[in-house]
Amino acid sequence: MVNPAKFLLAISFLCSGFSRLAAAGEFAPEHLDFFEKKIRPVLNEHCYKCHSVSSKKLKASLYLDSRTGILKGGDTGPALVPGDPEKSLLIEVIRYKDTDMEMPPKSKLPDAVIADFETWVKNGAAWPEEEGPSDGGNALAFDLEKRKSEHWCWKPLAPAPRTPDFIDQLIGEKLKEAKLRPAPHADPVTLLRRLAFDLTGLPPTVEEIEAFKKAAADNLDSAIEATVDRLLASPHFGERWGRHWLDLMRYAESHGHEFDYPIHNAHHYRDYVIRALNADVPYDTFVAEHIAGDLLPEPRLNPEDQTNESIIATGFWYLGEAVHSPTDVRKDEADRIDNMVDTFSKSFLGLSVACARCHDHKFDAISTADYYALTGYLQSTRRNEHKQDPGKKIASGIAELEKIAASGNQRIKGKGPTGTPSSPPATPEGLLLPTNSRWFTSGHAFGDSPVPALNWIPVKNTITEHAVFDSGRYGDKLHGVLRTPTFEITGDRVHLYVKGTAEVRLTIDGHFMQVFNGLLFGGTRKNIKTGDKWQWVTLNSKDIAQKSGHQAYLEIIDSGPGAIAVKAVTTSHEIPNIEEILPPNLRARELEAPIAAELSGLSDSAKKISNAIPSPSATILSVTDGTPENDHIHIRGSHKNLGREVPRRFLTALGGEEITPPENSSGRLELAEQVISRENPLTARVAANRIWHHLFGRGIVPTVADFGPMGIPPSHPKLLDSLAASLIEGRWSRKKLIRQIVLSKTYRQSATPHPDLSPNYLADTDPENIFLHKAPVRRLQAEAIRDSMLAISGRLDPKLYGTPVPVHLTSFMQGRGRPKSGPLDGAGRRSIYTSIRRNFLPPMMLAFDMPSPFSSVARRTVSNVPAQALTLMNDPFVVSESKRWADSTANIKDDKARIETMFLQAFAHPPTPEQLKTTLAWIQSHPSQQNAWQDFAHSLWNTKEFIFLN
Amino acid sequence: MHCRNFRPSSLTRRDMLQQSACGFGAVALSALLAENASAAKADYNPTNPLAPKKPHYTPKAKNVIFLYMDGGPSQVDTFDYKPLLKKFNGQDPRKAIGKLEPTQFDNIGKVMQSPWTFKQHGESGAWVSDLFPHIAKVADDLTFIKSMTSKFPEHTAANYFLHTGSGLQGRPSMGAWVGYGLGTENQNLPGFVVLNGGLIPPGGLDNFNSGYLPAAYQGSVFNPGNTPVANIKPAGSNPELQRRKLDLMRQLDLSSKDRFAGEEQIESAILNYETAFRMQAAVPDLMDLSGESDTVKKMYGLESDFNQTKIFGRQCLLARRLVERGVRFIELTCPGGNGDRWDQHNNLVDGHGKNCKTVDQPIAALIMDLKKLGLLDETLVIWTGEFGRTPFAQGGNGRDHNPFGFTTWMAGGGVKPGISYGRTDDWGYKAIENKVEIHDLHATMLHLLGIDHTKSTFRFSSRDMRLTDVHGHILKDILA
Repeated sequence: MVNPAKFLLAISFLCSGFSRLAAAGEFAPEHLDFFEKKIRPVLNEHCYKCHSVSSKKLKASLYLDSRTGILKGGDTGPALVPGDPEKSLLIEVIRYKDTDMEMPPKSKLPDAVIADFETWVKNGAAWPEEEGPSDGGNALAFDLEKRKSEHWCWKPLAPAPRTPDFIDQLIGEKLKEAKLRPAPHADPVTLLRRLAFDLTGLPPTVEEIEAFKKAAADNLDSAIEATVDRLLASPHFGERWGRHWLDLMRYAESHGHEFDYPIHNAHHYRDYVIRALNADVPYDTFVAEHIAGDLLPEPRLNPEDQTNESIIATGFWYLGEAVHSPTDVRKDEADRIDNMVDTFSKSFLGLSVACARCHDHKFDAISTADYYALTGYLQSTRRNEHKQDPGKKIASGIAELEKIAASGNQRIKGKGPTGTPSSPPATPEGLLLPTNSRWFTSGHAFGDSPVPALNWIPVKNTITEHAVFDSGRYGDKLHGVLRTPTFEITGDRVHLYVKGTAEVRLTIDGHFMQVFNGLLFGGTRKNIKTGDKWQWVTLNSKDIAQKSGHQAYLEIIDSGPGAIAVKAVTTSHEIPNIEEILPPNLRARELEAPIAAELSGLSDSAKKISNAIPSPSATILSVTDGTPENDHIHIRGSHKNLGREVPRRFLTALGGEEITPPENSSGRLELAEQVISRENPLTARVAANRIWHHLFGRGIVPTVADFGPMGIPPSHPKLLDSLAASLIEGRWSRKKLIRQIVLSKTYRQSATPHPDLSPNYLADTDPENIFLHKAPVRRLQAEAIRDSMLAISGRLDPKLYGTPVPVHLTSFMQGRGRPKSGPLDGAGRRSIYTSIRRNFLPPMMLAFDMPSPFSSVARRTVSNVPAQALTLMNDPFVVSESKRWADSTANIKDDKARIETMFLQAFAHPPTPEQLKTTLAWIQSHPSQQNAWQDFAHSLWNTKEFIFLN
Repeated sequence: MHCRNFRPSSLTRRDMLQQSACGFGAVALSALLAENASAAKADYNPTNPLAPKKPHYTPKAKNVIFLYMDGGPSQVDTFDYKPLLKKFNGQDPRKAIGKLEPTQFDNIGKVMQSPWTFKQHGESGAWVSDLFPHIAKVADDLTFIKSMTSKFPEHTAANYFLHTGSGLQGRPSMGAWVGYGLGTENQNLPGFVVLNGGLIPPGGLDNFNSGYLPAAYQGSVFNPGNTPVANIKPAGSNPELQRRKLDLMRQLDLSSKDRFAGEEQIESAILNYETAFRMQAAVPDLMDLSGESDTVKKMYGLESDFNQTKIFGRQCLLARRLVERGVRFIELTCPGGNGDRWDQHNNLVDGHGKNCKTVDQPIAALIMDLKKLGLLDETLVIWTGEFGRTPFAQGGNGRDHNPFGFTTWMAGGGVKPGISYGRTDDWGYKAIENKVEIHDLHATMLHLLGIDHTKSTFRFSSRDMRLTDVHGHILKDILA
């Protein structure tokens, strides 16, 4: 045996010897000559633009203008190994063999030059002794703590002492400083219209206007308060504010890309959001449910049917776009997770963490390590279709069956020593057994864990021979999914030892789209049907062979009738011999008959219970934990170039490094706790700011999704922190905060400035109304415009929730995956219920700036394009609803009264005498009397007053 | 002059005229001013986002016609002549060529020579196969890039990449960037028009979208047929009645102006109606080819016996008419009916035969016509697929996707005619000399339009986004 100490000594001697040899000045003159003639000029001409001290922008942190620089290498490690061209990255890249890294980037060097480089490296990479150019260590070091200390958003909340009217006080202070004055109160009906749209997205009805006027004449303040309370309690509140939230969540019901495959059951998430807003679920709970609703020890229950409400929120992670058959499936996964991290960080934290995917954030206190610390959570999380169990009836049936099983198993124990269920002699590598690794179950059929060997299964009245996952353990009709731990694909095939019926899917690098379309060659999905026989089933696909070395897990899906039992899974070429892995358990066979006879009565009652278990009520898109994994830093964002492993944790700047990541779970629950922790000032600030933004059209921080240094700092920092503190102290009630804001004098101002302020003064002092010297004029959102038309024409169906109404297709909506067209009027439902298919978005909504759901949008653009005018002038929906509206007022025989009513419906105020006169004359002189009222209705919808709030 | 000035009094005729600088007449005025304006920043003007803007430097081209060959035409069967393929025809490419990159379908057949004959054409001696007899005649006007590369071997991502510089969905299309950078000269038509031949490429309308740029810049897809643009046809048959409705609307708008305290956004929304109203006339005028001579129609192939040639001929003719009307960016998509676009995984001879027949004559006519009218100098024509095809077969008689080296050509506005830039290896498989990336194509295109691709940015997601992201080099060697 080698003496380790001597061995080490020898190595260190060798090393020092080599370095002495390689030191400058020690090279043979002919080698130096070769370098000067053949190598240096090439380096100079082809490499130094990007890899030298004179580079304007150094690429890949690699210097090729000194031997030290070359040996030290760049982002991908040393550029050469003296003496060994085959191990030298520099040689590899100039050979142009790998399209991911070819240098020089534009053209391959001539073969003779490449040969020169090989010779040069082989001969030890000679380089004369010279003053090395400095290795340019002038790049600004990334100092996270310094950045954190310099930027406002990381600082703890500093609310001003709060009086009941703190909003008006803090706004007033700034107005005073700018020598401005608040505008007078808006007239009551203008305020009513503003409130109705802001809180419910619908115009006030004529009856509501009349009732309000009456109450206001009595006591204006209490009339306003009562109206606010009525609107906040309206179920339409959730639809209006839910739509704001869906923008953030890039909510859609299809995956986009080539075929626009559907996201099944996405609408349950939309309904969850509406319900949560209507029920005023505290915002911290709401956020925690999004991040980890599947892991909450006590999930919130739906009050109607007692199903799990919290888990529905987790579906948001998977609402993004998705590609089928990506050639580079690992990159596809990285892109998908990037979108998840982006949505998460913008929506909950108001930060653009995704900027740190390729390099430490250019301006913010967010490092690349922070980014990959977050992606690890998603690497450890899997997509799951959760089955709802109303009133926990399925769970309680199962509990009864477990009780029966326990009493039966007592009898087995009573039969004396159970013998040793022979453990496998040696487990071949890559073999997954229920006993040697952590598998995951969801749904009900498989229970929480495998059935151990020598266990009695009541509904079958049999004894297990080996540990087994069995979706028939509680009967045949339950649903359930069994997932293996994440494993590395090592062989070209995947084998399962199973009995029964199920669908099997191999998910490689988290690519779940094989549901619709196999990776490239299919074969990662299979329907298994072995009848009553245990046998090996093989997934055999080029996709598996090609993906050797990739991470994967297997899903075994029992979707109701029938059942599947699983004893082993392995990735290899050969099918293993089952007798060697799981030798027969003689004791089990011996006990089988006597026990079956003895327990047949118990078994019968178990079957009865099993038959009475109801089916799940709904399928919910959600997530579940998988094998915990940390991610590695992807150097310059490339998954092909991995750096160090980063433990899963929250952002450093928010104390993430102080908390150790959990070992046995994804850690999302702990992440959620940190996001909503009071130590984190961002969550409340961002939420309060967004509410302000929706009510004033501009946030206190106008870059609503970016509180970082690239965003715009708050116009009223004290107010922002006071609102945030108010949100937290009001138990995170969004309705309370909204109520507080809309009842302020600031919100109640008129859109016309105080008469003492001259237009010129205002144009100089507050041209953008940042100080809020008046109410802002705002255009209605796309949904509010369409919903108003339905409400006014009388077509609005106020029904809440449910499956989406198919979008009405025009001839312009073409492409693959084209769905069936829906009704022109969207069945009279509010716009939030129209299906949102990424490749077939409703044109009217797009024209009025509904965002394309590709990434999180916190602030819609408000554009002004001819398509908007063309829509209102010519769109068949607008035209037919204006006819419906005109018809609905036909019972008003007096023309003046009819005009007045229609004005009230459209604008909440009657016409001025002048308007009445103009309109009346216009109608009476209309050349086609039968169209006069319809045309009038259509004209009203084309006025600016209809689509703007003042 | 402050457009935000609040005028509480009702409008007199004099007021109207005075305010027209901010209101109804603003577009025409700003269009005039732009000719001489000195401000060079491509700022976003929310009131009139399409107003012409001054470029960063003097442009060589005013307009772009982007001939999009959806599906990926084969370079080795069209413009990139590789005699070696004949020598090795039928051999195992892994032995002949060496290590192969993974292809989409990984069904590697034999080295496949081109079924078509190549000849040199014109003074430049450009190689063109007999698939393109008409284009061969204008070969001296073309600038070939034989070393184009893409990053994506699948259609959808490659389409997004070609159109937006990113393989992901939802980014602004290059036509939108051009509109953002330059505005548009014709206020009655959109600045970015997609003449849809019938095939919307994989990835859908998002290839032409404005992404995070304001919606004003998104591509307007003009469908073949009588109603090319959504809602362009006035509702109701009587234009008088529509005018009447708009008159009432305008009176009501004016009488309610006080409620909005003279807000600029109300003004611009009113202005919008004027534009929309004019568009209703401008679009049918554009589509009406009755004023074109029979010779011209015939030249473009409108009388061809092959229906797809007729469709594409009409698109090419419309493209010229759009250039004449000052539309900045015009993209043409291919007509359907020729197999699965240019995507000949099999039946190469039939599919490429039909696709070439569809576009050959109309494209040659477009080049000649633009030249004759003196418009070619200021119009950049670009012909490209999202990638090329493999020099070896996929299975039997087709070719797989190949993003590692393919051919793109340009003509007109500011590029050197009659040259060939870059080179693939002897197989036509990978670019090995002067490799060009899609980003470089974008950078060069913007440069020719007078836009510095590193300076035309839009703040989104806390980053100053660019069409070329952090990449892109101007192809100086091909500039005239």
